[in-house]
This record gives sequence, C-alpha cells and structure tokens, in this order.
Amino acid sequence: MAVETRRRGAVGQSVRKVDGPALACGKPVFTLDLDLPGTLVGKILPSPHAHAQIVVIDTSEAGRVPGVRAILHHGSVPRIPYTTAGQGWPEPSPYDTVLFDTKVRFVGDRVAAVAAETEDAAEEALGKIRVEYKVLPAVLSPEDALAPGAPMIHDEPDADGIYDAQRNIAAAVDIPVGDVAAVLAASPVRVEAACEIPYSQHSAIEPHCVIAYFDDAGRLVLRSSTQVPFHVRRIVARILGLDPARIRVVKPRIGGGFGSKQEVILEPVAAALALATKRPVRMAYTREEVFVASRTRHPMRVTVKLGADRTGALQALDMEVLSNTGAYGTHALTVLSNVGSKTLPLYNKAKHLRFHGKAVYTNLPVAGAYRGYGATQGYFALEVAMDALAAELGLDPIELRVRNHIQAGETSPIFEKIGEGREGKPQVVRSCALPQCLRIGAEHIGWREKRGQRHCDGPWTYGVGMACAMQGSGITGVDMAAATLLMQDDGSLRLLVGATDLGTGSDTILAQIAAEELGVPVDRVLVYSSDTDFTPFDTGAYASSTTYVSGNAVLRAAQDVRSQILDVAAGALGERVADLELADGMVRSRRTGKALTLKDIGHRATYVVDQKQIAATASFTCPESPPPFAAFYCEVAVDRETGVVRVERFVAAADCGVAIHPQGAEGQLEGAVLQGIGHALCEEMWFARSGRCVNAGFFDYKIPSALDVPHIEAILVPSEEPTGPWGAKSISEIGINGPLPAIANAIYDAVGARLVRAPFTPERVLAALRAAGRG
Amino acid sequence: MRPSKVRRFHFARDVEEALSLLAAYDGRGSLLAGGVDLLRSPPASLEGLISITRIGLSYVNETRGAPAIGATTTLTDILERERARTYAGGVLREMLGQVAVPPLRNMATLGGAVVSAHPWADIPTALVALGAEARWQADREEQAPMEDLYGGAFRGIFRRAVLVEVVFPPWDGAFAYEKVSRTRYDIALLNACCGVGLDDGVIAWARVAVGATPDRGERLPWAEEALVGEKPGEKRWKEIRALVEGQIEVGDDRRASGAWRRSVAGVLVARALSRASARAAR
Amino acid sequence: MRVHVELNGVPQYLDVAPGEPLLSLLRRVGLKSVKEGCDAGDCGACTVLVDGRAVRSCLMVAPQVQGRKVTTLEGLGTVDDLHPLQEAFLETGAVQCGFCTPGMILVAHELLSRNGDPTADEVRAAISGNLCRCTGYVKIVDAILLAARWKREGKWR
Repeated sequence: MAVETRRRGAVGQSVRKVDGPALACGKPVFTLDLDLPGTLVGKILPSPHAHAQIVVIDTSEAGRVPGVRAILHHGSVPRIPYTTAGQGWPEPSPYDTVLFDTKVRFVGDRVAAVAAETEDAAEEALGKIRVEYKVLPAVLSPEDALAPGAPMIHDEPDADGIYDAQRNIAAAVDIPVGDVAAVLAASPVRVEAACEIPYSQHSAIEPHCVIAYFDDAGRLVLRSSTQVPFHVRRIVARILGLDPARIRVVKPRIGGGFGSKQEVILEPVAAALALATKRPVRMAYTREEVFVASRTRHPMRVTVKLGADRTGALQALDMEVLSNTGAYGTHALTVLSNVGSKTLPLYNKAKHLRFHGKAVYTNLPVAGAYRGYGATQGYFALEVAMDALAAELGLDPIELRVRNHIQAGETSPIFEKIGEGREGKPQVVRSCALPQCLRIGAEHIGWREKRGQRHCDGPWTYGVGMACAMQGSGITGVDMAAATLLMQDDGSLRLLVGATDLGTGSDTILAQIAAEELGVPVDRVLVYSSDTDFTPFDTGAYASSTTYVSGNAVLRAAQDVRSQILDVAAGALGERVADLELADGMVRSRRTGKALTLKDIGHRATYVVDQKQIAATASFTCPESPPPFAAFYCEVAVDRETGVVRVERFVAAADCGVAIHPQGAEGQLEGAVLQGIGHALCEEMWFARSGRCVNAGFFDYKIPSALDVPHIEAILVPSEEPTGPWGAKSISEIGINGPLPAIANAIYDAVGARLVRAPFTPERVLAALRAAGRG
Repeated sequence: MRPSKVRRFHFARDVEEALSLLAAYDGRGSLLAGGVDLLRSPPASLEGLISITRIGLSYVNETRGAPAIGATTTLTDILERERARTYAGGVLREMLGQVAVPPLRNMATLGGAVVSAHPWADIPTALVALGAEARWQADREEQAPMEDLYGGAFRGIFRRAVLVEVVFPPWDGAFAYEKVSRTRYDIALLNACCGVGLDDGVIAWARVAVGATPDRGERLPWAEEALVGEKPGEKRWKEIRALVEGQIEVGDDRRASGAWRRSVAGVLVARALSRASARAAR
Repeated sequence: MRVHVELNGVPQYLDVAPGEPLLSLLRRVGLKSVKEGCDAGDCGACTVLVDGRAVRSCLMVAPQVQGRKVTTLEGLGTVDDLHPLQEAFLETGAVQCGFCTPGMILVAHELLSRNGDPTADEVRAAISGNLCRCTGYVKIVDAILLAARWKREGKWR
C-alpha cells in the first residue's frame, strides 16, 4: 500500500473552488433560491408544552382560513416509527420518532403542519388549530431522567431499539479493557476531571430548508439543504410508504451543516404536504426553530480518571459519560460511543481502560450529530485531566503527551472494541505526525517563554495552555462512496459523485483527486454532485469521511479511466500501454515520443474506432478510519476582577496527511477552531422552568464574531497516509476538539483556576477564581 | 419580521404632520426612523408607518459648547462627527463604538435608542451619566433631563410625541465608559459611565451611572458625593469600588447573577473613574 | 404602493406592499444573493448597501428606500467579470459555504469606500456584524486586505 510518489500536479494546489465564482457572485444556487410557480408555504405547529398527551386536535377553523390547502397531524398520516438520524442502514439510532405523534416531548416538538398559499395564511391557520393537551410532568435534566419514578418519555409500544425506555435510557455502553479499578487504585498518581458541556447549536447561517415538488413524470423531487441526500431518499420513502424509485433528492449549494443537516427533519413533512396538495411546497425553519427544533450538540458530563506512575506513564484510564439526548434518541448511541472511541486510542500507553456511560432522554430539544460528534465532549475532560496530571507530576504537559500518545505502527484495543453502535475493527495507525504538531505548535505559541510566567498587565493575567486530539476518516465497515468518471468527446471529464459538499469544498478536492490521476488541469473536470437521480451512491458528508472515502472512490474511478485512455491511445499510436505515459493532457510514448492529446483520444473513442464511452464507476468502503492528529496551543488573558477571558492567540497544528487543497484544509481547521472557541467562551442555550428555550436566536445565543477571536493560526503538518487518496486523511472535525481544553488549561496556567463547566463566562471564571482562592 | 398588517407608509414632511398622523392612527401607527427596534418585532396591530427620517432631524449641532444631536441622526453619523467624537473626553465615541455592529449603527438612530431605552442598553447609561436632556414636541415643545424621564413614565410620553433632539451639557472634565459582555457585539451584562472634573488636583464634581444591573442605567448619587473634594488616585478608586460593591442595588437575570454584578459594578466604576480622571487631567 | 429606486444602477419603479420587508422585495425581484439567515438583524446575511451604507434588509420595509440607491451583490460583478472584492475572496479561500459571502463582500465594499488602507483590526471591526460559521474569519480578513491593496495599487476598475 505504498503511495505512488510521482510529481503532483493538481493535488496540493489551492486551486479556485469549482463553485467559487457562482458563490462569490451570489448566484441563485441555494435551496430556496429556486422559485417554482404555484409553490405553497409549509409551516409547523410547535408544542407549547415540554411533555403532554394530545387529547384532541381540531383543525376545522384553521381549515377555513383562506389560502390553506392542507393540514396534517397524527390523525392524517400513517404511523411509522423511524429515526431522524441520516445514517447508513440499518441505523444504529432507535426508532423512537413518528411523523406526527399523539404525544409531544419537548417545547417545539411538531404537532401539526400546514400548507398555504402565503406565509401569513399558514401562520393564521397555525394559530387556529385547536389542540387540547393533557400536560404531563416533564423531565428537564439527565439526573431527573434517571431518578426513580421519573416520568417515562418514550412509553409508546412501537418504538424500537431503545436501550431501556422504562428508565429513560436511550443508549448505554460499558467497555472494559483490563482491570481499571484495581490499577487506578494502585497507581501512584491519580487525577480526576469532570467536565460539562451545555446545550449548544450548530448555527449554520442557512436555516434548514427544503422544496418538495413533482417533476414532469410526477415523481417527487426534494431539493434539500441536507448532508445526506441518499439517506433522505431511503428514509422519506419508508415513512411515507413511497417507492424510492419515485423520489429524487437534490442537494444544491448549502449554507453550512456541521452535522445539523445529517438529520431528516423537514423533508418528510414537506413531502407529505406536497403529496396532500399535489403542489410544490417550500419549508424553511425560522432561526428560532433552528435552535429549538433542529438539532443540538449532546450536552454531557464526562468524568475522566487517570492513573499514572511517577514518570507520567499512564496506567489506567476510566471515562464515564452522562449524555442528554433530549426528547429523541437520534445519534444517541453513536455519539456516546464516539466520546470514547475517538479519544481513548490517543493515549494507548494506558493498558487498563474502561469506557462507560448512558445517553438519556429528557423533555428538552433533540441532540444530534455535531462536528466532533462526542469527541469534542470527551477531549474536554480528557485533556483537562491530562493537564491536571502534568501539574500533579510537575511535568511539562507536552512531555506528558509525548510519553503517552499513540505512534505510527501502533494500535489500541479501543479500535476493535468500540465501533458505530457495535464492535469496531482492529486498526493500526499508519501515519501520525503528532510529534511534529506538538513541536511546531509549541514553537509558534512561544511555549517555553510563556508557560508558567503568569505575566500581568493591570488586571489581566496571561497564560498558555495546550491540548491534543485525534478524529477519524469515515466510519469503518459502514461508509461507502461511489464515483463515476466519464471522458467526453472533447477530452474533458465529467465527475459524478454522491458526495455532499456542504461548503467544505469537497466538489473541488474530488476534482483535484481525479485531475491528479489523469494529468489534467482541475478545470477540465466538471463536477456534478449529490443528486440521487444522477450521481452514484454516497453515505453522505459526515464522520470526516468525504476526502478519504469519497476521495478513494474517485481515485479508483480515475485509475480505471486512465487505463481505458491508455488502451485507446495504444491502439491509435500502435504502441504498448507499458510504454505510454499520461501527463499534461497528453499521452506520450516513452519509446518513440509519439503523442496524442486527450481531445484526440476522446474524439477517437467517441466517433472513430472501437467506439465506446470511456467511463468508470468505482466504489470504496472504509476498511479502516485513519485518524488525523492535532496539537492545539492558545494564549489567554484573564481579567481577574471581572472574569472576562480573551483568547489572544490560537495555534492549531494538524496532521491531515497530504492536504489535497491546503487553503481549504486550513479553512476547515480555522472554522472548527472558531466553533470550539464559541463553545469555550460564549455558546449556551438557556431554558425556562417550562422547558422552553429562552435564547433561541443570535441576539442572546452568542456565536463569535470576527472581533471575538484572534487570527487563528492553522498549520498543516504533512504526513503520508498510505491508505488515503494521494496520502490524504480527514480535517473537517478535529479542530473543534481543541479549544475547550486548551483554553481551560491556559486559564489554569494564567490564574490557577480549573474551568470544568463550559462556556467559561465571566461569572464562571470569577467564581472559579474565588473558589481557588485567587479572586 | 413581517409587519403584515401595515396598510400605509408615510413620509412625514415635518414634525406637525408626523404628530397628526400618529394621532390619526390612534395607537395603530408608529413613528419610524432607523427601524431597528420597531421592525425587529413589530406590534401585531401596526397599521401605519410614519417615517420621520426626512424632516430635518439628522444633525449634530453645537450649543453652549456641547453637542445637540437630532433624533434621527444615525449612530454612524454621530461617530463620524468631530464634535461628537471629542465631547466630554470622547465618551460618546467610546460608548457608541461598542453599541451593536456597523450595519446596525448605520441604521439605528440616537432617538430610537432614547425611546426604546432597553435596560441592557449602552446609550441610556451614558445619557444619564452625562446629564443629557431630551427635547420633544407633543402638544407643545418640552424638554427634560433623560434621568427624570427614565425615572417617570417616558414610554407614555413618546407614544404621543416626536423626540426632536438630545441636548448635551458642557462639562469641564471628562467621562469614560466601561462595559462587560459575552462577545464584543453583545448587549451589556453590566455597564458603567463615569465622569470627573478636577480643580487644583481635587475632584470638583463626579458623575457615576451603572446600567444593565439588569435595570436601565441609573446614577449612584452616594458614590458621586463620596468623590467630591477628594484626591483622585488608585486609593480613592479602590474605596469607591468597595463602596459600590457594598451599596449598589443589582439583580439576577438569565445573563448574569446579582452576585457577579455586585462585585463587577465596583470594578467598572473604578476603571471608568480612573480613565475619566486621567483624561480630565490632560 | 409604488417606490422609485435605483437598483444596482438601474432606476426603476417597483410595486410594493407598505409593510413588505426590503429583503422580501429584493428576493422577489430575483436578487437571490440577499439571504435570510435570522430575520432579526443579527446575522448580516441580508446585508445590502443603501446609498453606499451597509444595512440589514430584513429590518427595513420597502418604502424606506424610496428615492435611494440600493446595491446588492448582483450589482458588483459577474462570474465572467468579477469585482476585485469577489476576486480577492476567491483568491484567499474566503468563500466556504458562501451563504454569508454576499453580506461580507458588501460590508467590505462600504469599508473600502471610506478607508482605503484599513488595518486587520479595522477590517475585523467592520465585519463584526456579519456572522460566518465556516471560516474562522481568517481568510475573509485576508481577502479584504488583499482587495484593499489592489485598490491602492490602482487595480480596481
């Protein structure tokens, strides 16, 4: 599996994004930019109660509002349990959701839906639907959910796959390796960190939206802002009892997802309304609905116990998780599993491990996939614990990592023990530039000069902190991507991929991967993606999969097309394939120097001799999931009198293998770090005692602006991943795992207070300072 | 925002026409200047919008050596006017630069901020500290200190009046503004505006206002009294910090607890006084 | 009612409802670069220029632009003839999902029309009202500084 080491053309170049000019010019390329005549507006009636039985729904008055064309609720659609998680089949998430239920489980849960000629008419009708509720006691925290006698949130008999519905436990895991309790007890040095992350939201700037309409043949088309078009097709067909062959899902450009659009939320509702009215229906969440009724990160408390000897060699590592999945269990098990599976292998020197936890239901908004996917929560606790261990040992935190982190050629039992809601697969790490990341990042931040100095400027005290992380590249044994590459009569290429570019630039890097193999400029590869009618299957854009999984599929298709091109050229030139080389848009004979352009070859194959379409479709499944690695360093200033924390500098040094598009890879890293800084400093959803979210908007849920973050320094530290396309691994998620622990550790360096509850608001920081006797 | 019941839009030609239109709508009409607050969440009953942006109330004038600012002057325009930027030690510039974000400052007007007077807002705290007065026209022209208006039923007044301008008094001394928020573009968790005048090395007068407590900015007369006649300096600011922490009335809201506000109020007042005093000494 | 407006350089009359948000009007007449991200003035995706000033089109009603010049991103450049700001955004990798891009470019346009040589901090302040969730702002700041340099070098049309 050695990487070919020929001269690179397209790969490694920050070429212009293939969709860049259209986006930079504001062309109508997003879901809602399409105006279809006769389109109705769809709106959802949200539950005002956190937990209630619907006794009666009366839509008679609403139905009389002029312009109303359809009203749907539990009485008018079939009851098919499903999960909104857009995952491969069979989904590891419980089937605990139906399109409209007789029970509501959080404030904002959908009760009914209306399609009307105008938004005003739809709103008016929603206001006139009479619903009689029998209000039930609500569960508003994971602790309450587990308390004896707690109200049962999922008491419906037809739910499937819930771990223990009676006790409100959506999912549970307990994975021991060795004897952690005994070894911990015997370890000369022990530390514990319990870190907590609240409800937070992806905050993609484009709200969730979809247009459902019918094509000329009467087939249902869903133009959706989704990360998972193929899962949408499969799941919508099942919920609505449709033949999947009668559904087409198109993903146009989408305005960010970060996991929140790996969920099938609006599509079945819009489809049902379109079917009921035989009209196009457009639906878009308001920003408030995005916060309340799309998905959030799983709030968690993660407790890490470390045992080490006096040299800092880890001996035992226990990680316990209490995850709040909200009202439905979408991604409950897999996010929970990922807390351990993406963190514990990093410190494989610890031979005794235990990973255990629960994901519980509450009557609060539904948590789901969010960039980092549990690893973010896990690294917060793990890396704060490592910092505390370093302090306990009097060891430099970098040195503690160096002594314990996994290296190329090594493995961890966790790879095999924890997979996607089931057992995983054994895996050896083949590429790891973490040592270089640690060193380069430390140099950039000025670690030696700054660490432990507690430099003061008036009320401000400065400190530096660090953290490490790894992630994966796709889901082992689950993900599959396919690509079709065709050569046209003019020698240009058409690349059809199911892969889903959600603003990440994947259309561009997939074109680069094909262009590299075929020795053509990237602009000779036209990319068409994410259309279930026209592109081959792809599980979708999640789990840091696209570069690695979809990229490998593209590379294989390109290799096949390359050999077809050489065959045609060999015939035309009267040469042996072995003597031919393909570069710079030409096939040349090394023996005779005779040459043909790709245009000649395309023309010949299409019109002249042995006519055929030069084309190939290739698939790639994911036998292993090579982890990217990163070291994060930051410098903070803490105002000792107010508790305000400023992130002065942030350095992220990441090993994503070979960066196919360095500028795009940096952008992924910078953006992920920004979201992580948001988690650390300001992002938190608040709830009233009724369970209602009281800050469902950017006015009071703050995400960082350009003034709230420093110039984030993203450094790509190369390695060669032998299984990756042109040596590449993933980059999109890993960056979000660093800021929470790195900032917490920097605050500790500055003022000696441990922040374990995010976000680190002025109030929490001041309280921690006082608790540490330093305020 | 969809003020879907709005039936008419008027460009008032002058204050009188704005007032008569307002009266004609009998509660279902609203004056419109920047629109930032009104159109963010328009009242469901809103039927008529009366624009007052074209009646000559966008200006920064100078009276008695201090600015008088027309009600429909945008925050950006104020920030760009030299007189407003240098007034009272530059406090208007310092404070307005922390209000919202540039495109909203391009829209929002001083009058809108005065009339909306959100408890967490920056502008009311500064206006109260500065002793600014509002001049408005209803049945007749009236003028009153902002502090008195905010202490009374000002919302009732401005439902039937056109705010014409905000008049600032001249100060022989300087002010400074302090704010703590979750992000740089956030509303305040707490804010403070303080001013000091020096006479022969001694504090001749002091103004201290704290806002977002979570209530709207109010002066702390007892803190001001404790400063007059004293020598400025770190020791003095420390005493004031302790005094404010001990005596200020603060409360909890979802953004911050009373306990945090109590200790930070003293800090912000001390910092604002320290900076104002340094400016005044220049 | 009918308003007279100069829309992307073309004077025209438009029939509008008195309470119609400017955002809705612009999208209704086909200017889809104007995005709805929050409908509350918080995110900046709906930013347009009115008489050269960046404003939130979701917080304005259509009649407010009577007699004024409104510029949307469509008024700057085209795919075949990019505006230097658009060119700079592509050059530096400042466009990720592209949803905040129209508003970002327009606030940058306002900034550079008033300050031809901004510092990075001034750029950050100018774009602080436009939320981006993809980039970390690094490359957006780079793009605006690059466009400013091009402008100083006389490379703008």
